[in-house]
Amino acid sequence: MSRFPELLLGGIAALLLASSSVSAADVAAGEKAFGRCKACHAVGEGASNRVGPHLNELIGREAGTVDGYSYSAAMTQAGEGGLVWDEASLKDFLANPKGLVKGTKMAFAGLKKDKDVENVIAYLATFSAEAEKKADGEPKQEEPEKKAEAAPAGQAPEPTATASAASPAQEPGAGAHFKLGREATEAEVAAWDIDVRPDGLGLPEGRGTVAQGQELYDENCASCHGDFGEAIGRWPVLAGGQGTLTDERPEKTVGSYWPYLSTVYDYVRRAMPFGNARSLSDDDVYALTAYILYLNDVVDDEDFELSKDNFASIKLSNEDNFIDDDRDSEPHYARDIEPCMTDCIPGKAEIKMHAAVLDVTPENAGDDDAPAGGID
Amino acid sequence: MDDLKAAATAATRRGFLKTGLLGGAALAGSLASGRAMAEGDPVITEIQDWNRYPGDGVDARPYGQPSQFESHVVRKNVPWLTSDTISSINFTPLHELEGIITPNGLCFERHHAGIAEIDPANHRLMINGLVDKPLVFTMADLKRFPRENRVYFLECAANTGMEWRGSQLNGCQYTHGMIHCVMYTGVRLKHILEEAGVKAAGSWVLAEGADASAMTRSIPMEKALDDCMVAFAMNGEALRPEQGYPIRLVVPGWEGNMWVKWLRRLEVGDQPWQQREETSKYTDLLANGKARRFTWKMDVKSVITSPSPQVPIVHGKGRTLVSGLAWSGSGTIKRVDVSIDGGRNWHAARIDGPSLPMALHRFYYEFDWDGSEIFLQSRAIDESGFVQPTKDQLRAVRGENSIYHNNGIQTWHVNKDGGVENVEIS
Repeated sequence: MSRFPELLLGGIAALLLASSSVSAADVAAGEKAFGRCKACHAVGEGASNRVGPHLNELIGREAGTVDGYSYSAAMTQAGEGGLVWDEASLKDFLANPKGLVKGTKMAFAGLKKDKDVENVIAYLATFSAEAEKKADGEPKQEEPEKKAEAAPAGQAPEPTATASAASPAQEPGAGAHFKLGREATEAEVAAWDIDVRPDGLGLPEGRGTVAQGQELYDENCASCHGDFGEAIGRWPVLAGGQGTLTDERPEKTVGSYWPYLSTVYDYVRRAMPFGNARSLSDDDVYALTAYILYLNDVVDDEDFELSKDNFASIKLSNEDNFIDDDRDSEPHYARDIEPCMTDCIPGKAEIKMHAAVLDVTPENAGDDDAPAGGID
Repeated sequence: MDDLKAAATAATRRGFLKTGLLGGAALAGSLASGRAMAEGDPVITEIQDWNRYPGDGVDARPYGQPSQFESHVVRKNVPWLTSDTISSINFTPLHELEGIITPNGLCFERHHAGIAEIDPANHRLMINGLVDKPLVFTMADLKRFPRENRVYFLECAANTGMEWRGSQLNGCQYTHGMIHCVMYTGVRLKHILEEAGVKAAGSWVLAEGADASAMTRSIPMEKALDDCMVAFAMNGEALRPEQGYPIRLVVPGWEGNMWVKWLRRLEVGDQPWQQREETSKYTDLLANGKARRFTWKMDVKSVITSPSPQVPIVHGKGRTLVSGLAWSGSGTIKRVDVSIDGGRNWHAARIDGPSLPMALHRFYYEFDWDGSEIFLQSRAIDESGFVQPTKDQLRAVRGENSIYHNNGIQTWHVNKDGGVENVEIS
């Protein structure tokens, strides 16, 4: 359950008892609630900045001051204006981030339950010397290696310098022509070759239901993709948009645009949750994929279970709308046409549209401007 | 500009400039016609600090940086485009660059999970799938393959993608800056594939990055065996971390997303993998709801980099130099035409510098500006005979929602004061 050794929990309990204001808070429950924050924030030994800044030594920190993290202007200004993270300010912020710091880039809408807020603060306090000092607690133990950093169950860890040094079973000089390289081991190939094709090649053993997926989604995905896949800010929309592809503003989602379900499994498994890739088990990914199908009304039963066995039978509705590159059939593609050089268009050129009207060039645009277009 | 600033300071000190800073043209005018005529330009007539005192010694800047007066020449992003800079893009300052080679520190960046910082001692390149023998290479192994040097442009498929619905951004950095061109040093991908032995059924290669997005793209074997490279150096030095250090894939003439950075794995297969970046992204939605996929090649394209919105004409009427870039994923550029009247009449521009296949080409057009409003356009023609189309031609067949592969002709409106704006015209 907890990744803390008993000893440490005891120490923290003592710490919390000594601190009257958080005495009712529960560090273990806070760690669990922090699961929703982990997609973007790291805390503990070696924690670095991810989508959000690391949260070590948070208590007593001036807002917007972690080295190397690119804050919103609003957060930097809040810190310069005197905002310091303590129990009171964190309570306000975690309950309603944009309420306290309008313009923060933290997409998370806030923890709805006061209890969760208190518990998360208690949990974060265990990583802050300032809070410990106040509580006169025992020195903090070194945090054991995070579960998230280990490879998902059933998969070999990625080879590192030490791993490869320990497995040079193959002779160098294995290549066919220049005798370069060495043969890859099965474990090495298994560790990296996790791609999945539409025909099901590469799917691992496993299964997961819509209901299981919902729980995982709320914890790992909703902070960016929204509770229903509608997305927060400009993070990708996952659900809806069916029937909009010929509209002026098409909504391209898994349900409306993606041709293959295998792409969802493959991508979630290799790159999600953003900021903590490769942390989900194969079963977790089946469950999340099932839930994304549910959000898109491809399945409507919360008990629906997606597995290696039934995966290839699921088809997405837009598959047939993809065509191969036929740009060379376009009229302007014709080769070796000598283009017109003189008097090519009658009349004087008249301006039809100014970029200045839209005024979205960075030097001119405000932060809230979000016109059409994108890089996808 | 900085020369002018220095002159302004000197002039103000002496009380010659009565009306304050009226802008570059006014200042230059006052210098030329006023005191300067009588006494001379103070940067000439007065001994300057740099002419009297020695500067920094040889080791003051062990890795040299541009002049402090060039600090505005940087990559910039467009904050509204994306939620977070970790998964975002910035733009090459094309309007400030010359020649055909992009300096390493100014090559635009596109990351899907930030910059991976990889110690080359811990980097491996694996090749597996439909091969005789799956192999692992260290960096030292890769550097023992036959090596070659090639100059190629890399253009993001979404370059100019914000302009499909009309003029949006004022600056060729933003409209066309998802491109760079450097000399790569590396190994032919063909050699690496052959080292593992591609099986007869192997018709596709999946390239995968080592970053936290584990970027993947399917590449047809024909291209992989043709001119693709695994590069470890750009412009003579190791790749920059943001460009894939220690190795990246080079896919000449094809869209930038395929040039997988931090390349760690090549898998041979018998069909494409239909990865996220080749299905949900980098597919071109047409007006009829169909979407093109595997639109790899970057079409013939050009843009005038100066004058452009970020570098207006400040010298007034008279001799004017138009500088620009042209490129094509089909080979070299055969000709570039420039129009100053919005495409009514065209004049052949002068291509200067090396003309290399699938590399940027620099063109110039010089004329005497009469001070009236003009509409600048450029139109490239490549060695295959493809002619850069107008934006209207593209929209007529594709609609406005393709995002990618917008190679339409760009129009810059120059007003009577020399100010430049991104416009669309009749």
